[in-house]
Amino acid sequence: MKRFLTILSAALLPPLMALSADAANDCLTCHSQKTIMNRGIHLYIDPLKYGLTTHARIGCVSCHNNITKRHPKDKVRPSRAQCKDCHAAVYAEYSHSMHGKYAGCTDCHTPHTVKPLLAVSGRDINIQCAKCHQYASTVKSHSKWLPQATLHIDALPCITCHTGSQNYVISMYMVKKVSGSALGGVALAGFEDLLPFLSTGAKVGTLIDLDGDGAISLSELKKFNTSGKYSSIALLGTMMPEVVTHNFDILDNRRDCTFCHASGPNAQQASALLFPEPDGTYSRMAVEKGAILDILYGTPDFYMTGFTRSNTLSIIGAVIAFGGLLVPILHGTLRFFTRNRRKEL
Amino acid sequence: MSEERITEQIYMTPTPVRIWHWLNALGIVTLCVTGIQIRFPEYANIFGTYKAAIKLHDVAGITVSISFLLWIFYYLFVARSLVKLYIPNVDDIKRGLFSQAFFYFFYYFLGQKNPHIATPDNKFNAIQKISYLLIMFLFLPLVIVSGLLLMNIAPLRGWIIAIGGIKFLVDAHYLIACSFFAFLCVHIYMATLGHTPFSHLRQMWTGWEETEPHPRWR
Repeated sequence: MKRFLTILSAALLPPLMALSADAANDCLTCHSQKTIMNRGIHLYIDPLKYGLTTHARIGCVSCHNNITKRHPKDKVRPSRAQCKDCHAAVYAEYSHSMHGKYAGCTDCHTPHTVKPLLAVSGRDINIQCAKCHQYASTVKSHSKWLPQATLHIDALPCITCHTGSQNYVISMYMVKKVSGSALGGVALAGFEDLLPFLSTGAKVGTLIDLDGDGAISLSELKKFNTSGKYSSIALLGTMMPEVVTHNFDILDNRRDCTFCHASGPNAQQASALLFPEPDGTYSRMAVEKGAILDILYGTPDFYMTGFTRSNTLSIIGAVIAFGGLLVPILHGTLRFFTRNRRKEL
Repeated sequence: MSEERITEQIYMTPTPVRIWHWLNALGIVTLCVTGIQIRFPEYANIFGTYKAAIKLHDVAGITVSISFLLWIFYYLFVARSLVKLYIPNVDDIKRGLFSQAFFYFFYYFLGQKNPHIATPDNKFNAIQKISYLLIMFLFLPLVIVSGLLLMNIAPLRGWIIAIGGIKFLVDAHYLIACSFFAFLCVHIYMATLGHTPFSHLRQMWTGWEETEPHPRWR
């Protein structure tokens, strides 16, 4: 029976979604007009942002299911679905977390604009957290125990440390140099910042993915990083959790620096590049394994102490150090065997 | 009648230089050891936690940086002997370099005397001058600047990108640090090549160097 229902729902879902989308178009006829804000700001739905959400695929009436054809003349206040109706497991986990009693789902995720995790950058994720956790106080509280707290907070999404994921992927994103900054600051580069480098109609991924195979090889990455043409753009990196849990705990093992800063060059080499798209989302492209361990030009602006060191460079350094040791060993040996000659002095 | 041979005590290294030397030595050894844990945390856990190694590395780095500035200030404005002691002259390059190299790698084993006789005004032989010049005016400033940039990545990110990226900086810092370790090995060993194995070491501790036995008339 269960199997039958599964097949039935799978068969019915696409047409239902199509119907839902049509219904959403009906709603947006009024709710995408900015004039509707005169009746309440919350009534305005940005059609572009909404269209990118997963919720757009199931349509407005899936959550506001008491809407009739007479809306709004019927004066019936539209119902709102509970997030837990669909996201039961996430809700259960979150409601038991230390955050559960302080903020609801919609305090972080606006259902009409929420983007899938893979379509946001690490910095965007932190905007949700910054609604309550002010940047300055977050830096101050972390500075009490975390070396280079500003660097960590700038470079990492909060969820990298505050979710229970055990595996991570290195995500690289583009930044632009900020002119006029005395210390040479950088800011996240948007699609419009990359437009001058793109030929008409070309996808942003073609900036690096030169052969258009949908993946970035190490040689393509090196070409981009060594090209003078892109000198105003740099690729920074961040550690993104592979799985996002919603417990958002303070995890003691994250206070041990070696949780991230050890395990050496053979571990965790998966990396991806995030390209800013015209609609404000990010598209993700896989990068060839080994890029983050390349000595210089794979990821020239991304390095994690202890974790992404280059084996080749470690060996070169060891040879230099051993060269220094050889002098006392060889000279000392000859000195020992010729010691009698110096006794005559 | 046998010729009388004597040794003399010469005050070679003033107190400020000796304090700088040992502070610098402690700092650089600390930097090397903590640096090993920072780069290879899964193989070396010398200071308990990674954070302890980082903090100690930072403190030692700042100590070495400040002591380097004091060293320059002392030699430039107090002793005013920086150029005289550390900059090789034409004779050092034309002759001293080769005669000193021949001594260390050949004549020393035949039992011949060191061609360079150290005095307070001419403490270093040609090889020492060139080595210290490279160490103090190229390698040390480079390792200090790269270290300070690495301690302040967030506010100085733009500068770091402009000079070639954080990897270039880390790689340079690591390779220079390895060169410092190599220098340290050679430096400590060469310090045992004096009149007695500990005469140079004692001199760097007390300031007084005992000369090799020589005829009274010298």
